[in-house]
Amino acid sequence: MKGNQSPHIQVSNLRVQLDQHEILHGIDLALQRGEFVSLVGRSGSGKSTLLHALVGFIPSQGQVQTPQDMGIVFQNYAVFPWLTVRGNIALGLHGAKHPNQEIVDNHLELVGLASEAHKYPSQLSGGQTQRVALARALAPNPEVILMDEPFGALDMYTRGKMQTWLLDVWEKNQKTVLFVTHNIEEAMFLSDRVVVLGDGSVMGEHQVLFDRPRLESIKFTAEFIEQKKQILESIEPAYNS
Amino acid sequence: MKRLSKGSLSILQGGFTIVFILVIWEIVSRVGIVPKPLFPPPTRVFGAWIEMARSGELLRDIQASLWRALIGFCLGSVIAIFVGLLTGRIKLFSNYLSPLIQLLRPLPPVAIIPLVIVWFGIGEVSKIFSISFAVFFPVWINTHVGVRDIPKTFLWSAHTLKIRGLAILWKVIFPAALPFIVAGLRTGISIAFIMVFVSELAGASSGIGYQIYSSQLAYRMDRMIAALVLLGLFGALADIGLLAIIRLVFPWLKLSGQK
Repeated sequence: MKGNQSPHIQVSNLRVQLDQHEILHGIDLALQRGEFVSLVGRSGSGKSTLLHALVGFIPSQGQVQTPQDMGIVFQNYAVFPWLTVRGNIALGLHGAKHPNQEIVDNHLELVGLASEAHKYPSQLSGGQTQRVALARALAPNPEVILMDEPFGALDMYTRGKMQTWLLDVWEKNQKTVLFVTHNIEEAMFLSDRVVVLGDGSVMGEHQVLFDRPRLESIKFTAEFIEQKKQILESIEPAYNS
Repeated sequence: MKRLSKGSLSILQGGFTIVFILVIWEIVSRVGIVPKPLFPPPTRVFGAWIEMARSGELLRDIQASLWRALIGFCLGSVIAIFVGLLTGRIKLFSNYLSPLIQLLRPLPPVAIIPLVIVWFGIGEVSKIFSISFAVFFPVWINTHVGVRDIPKTFLWSAHTLKIRGLAILWKVIFPAALPFIVAGLRTGISIAFIMVFVSELAGASSGIGYQIYSSQLAYRMDRMIAALVLLGLFGALADIGLLAIIRLVFPWLKLSGQK
């Protein structure tokens, strides 16, 4: 039961100021262990800034409680071009106590890239590269995965396939995921909860109650379209501001 | 009829241009359009190579120049990469060192040779110092910029993967800056050959530059041109060799479209 545990990530009154300009104005957010939460909002609403503040990439004020081990996946992949697929996945596995090759092999299988293990990122498609990025983030077994618009650079068809694939991977390992996107349909399809961010503040939250495992066909059901409409209406003020 | 591959065709086209120029050169020189002693035909230049090879001068000069170019290039590059990593990554080093380096950078390296001869004499040290000095600047500036402008997401990814200390330098920063460093090295190797020639003009008793200078004094244009062609040839071969080594050691650079 996700709701009965203490939050895995707890953020209270989080403020971020960059270049004398306040980007986040006191964000409150809690994620339960194993929960998949999406942050949606227009460009510049502070979604990525919130993610970066959680990991400590940028200075912030307020209370932030996060686990030590967090993996992150970026929109531009940030996969290292000088390492092969295998090298990228193995990079975060430093501990001698880990059977590294076995972990790498398992993650190559998980992301379906076992046959591409020897290739360099420049030899892969966008979707494959993003799968390497996720495998690299998952391999050290972090408690939380943060994803910053990971499918933003992909075409619509690949994006749809990657969403289904991500859900499949998530259902196997049940990590806590905070997923940033500006695509409401994507957020609803993937998440347990959609948090709407507007101009540096939380504007609303929407529980997504569709059964799991989810198939892409739910996007065409009347319930899905109705809830999408509700979320769109709730974030409209943020787009108009 | 068997079709040629793209590579073979381009070699053939390049070879054609060279042969064409050699033929024109031979004709112009033999017909007497220009004074033959000032502009000896390629066959005479080829004869000069044979003459130098028989006397042992050719091998001696090539060895001396290549050795100086190699040592000077390696020394200048290694120091430049090291300093570039420091100034590109650590603000304090950049604050202290960058103004000094920027001040020295516009100096034509040739201009320091008289001073270097006074400091180190006319031996090997002054020649290698001059070459290293000239190679340092393009390699340093490229390394500095490459390291300074590494995408933040690379460093952030390394942070979340718990890559720290020196490991981040060798596992992330150096390879991320490598395309820039390679560009600097390629400029550096061309400069090294320019400086080999210049440094051998004064106080040398061997080397391709020395051969060009002494042939001019003896009014042997054939030997002079032969040595000039050699210098150009080895400069080009050094660049090709450097690229081949880089592609062998870092195959991903070639795959990323690095020329």
